[in-house]
Amino acid sequence: MKLRKITTIVDEVLTEGGATVDPVARTAVVAAVIENPWKGQGFVQQLNTGIDDIAPQLGKLLAPRVMEALGSPLEAYGKAAIVGLNGEIEHGSGLIHTLKFGNFFRDAASASTLLPAVEKRGPAGIVFDIPLKHFTDATIRSHHQSLEVRIPDAPHADEILVALAGASQGRPKQRLADLSTEQ
Amino acid sequence: MTIKQTVIDMPAIARTLSDIHVRAVRTVVEEVHAEGGSATSTPWKIAASYAVLPNPWLGQGTASNLTDYAAYAAPILAKELGGRLIDHLDGAQNIEAFGKAAVVGLEGEIEHGGAFIHTPYFGNLFRELLEGSSIICFSESRAEPSQSLRVPLWHKTAAATRDYYQSMEVHLPDAPHADEIVVMAVAADGPRPHPRIGDRNTDPAVTLAIFEEGS
Repeated sequence: MKLRKITTIVDEVLTEGGATVDPVARTAVVAAVIENPWKGQGFVQQLNTGIDDIAPQLGKLLAPRVMEALGSPLEAYGKAAIVGLNGEIEHGSGLIHTLKFGNFFRDAASASTLLPAVEKRGPAGIVFDIPLKHFTDATIRSHHQSLEVRIPDAPHADEILVALAGASQGRPKQRLADLSTEQ
Repeated sequence: MTIKQTVIDMPAIARTLSDIHVRAVRTVVEEVHAEGGSATSTPWKIAASYAVLPNPWLGQGTASNLTDYAAYAAPILAKELGGRLIDHLDGAQNIEAFGKAAVVGLEGEIEHGGAFIHTPYFGNLFRELLEGSSIICFSESRAEPSQSLRVPLWHKTAAATRDYYQSMEVHLPDAPHADEIVVMAVAADGPRPHPRIGDRNTDPAVTLAIFEEGS
């Protein structure tokens, strides 16, 4: 895996709508910018070899870093793959839509649900939003949220940006009725 | 015998970010493993931490005093933002370069941002926390939310050291709102990756005389 940089972002929200958020809402994302493992190979039919090689390395790298950056027990999580302009979205999807990537995060966070994701192709510095859902029950409405991220200067055309995100709680000042109240 | 006590009138200062109604804090750390196709000798880290808070001077006109609130609010910003940088860069002793910035929401004046970052209530404390001695370089602007800002850094004790001239681009999602200010501190644990453009001590003398015939 050819790694160029790792960016860590920690958000702390102290107030929302003018009201105090207590405890402070914490969200963290860690993004790795790597060379596209299928760079320059044209249309590759079988992506398995690259996935088997790279996805576990990314999971192993990112999962503990998110937990450390978050600094409190995780309750919601999500992931992202942003592919540079020379690649296919399928390349990014290959790296994140595999248990060989996600299980590192699920194990580190004692989580059980599927990780919601954003997959996108774009130029360096493109803005993307990572969706997050509850870590053991994706129907828990209070934890549906998303995090705006822009990593300047990444991904280059032959790179892929892969990120994991976690939150210590649901939305700050969440107060919507539970899904079950409408069923 | 009575002991006569002298009471020094120290200005009150905010002790927590909540005291100054900070809405959010974002900390961004970049760890560069390779640049220009070559690995960096050690992963090099550059970090920014910023707070989003209400602009306390809106509607007060251009004759209003900015110093009193800056003296109250800026010290805790320096302490909290500097503290986050120290945590993420593994201690003040590992920090070699620094910078600062302010972004004012559209209803305010850039002068409002300057009141926070260009006065000793922020700069002196940030410098002391990071164990520096240089003047701190800066960036400032007025902007809508969700724009990006590029913030310069230089060496914390030897500002003219060219290898340390560098900058960091920071994205500010959802901030600052029109009635808010972003106050930011930045730091790095080393020079640029692969610095190789000399220094003022090794430069030849370059003047406009180089355009003269025969030179």
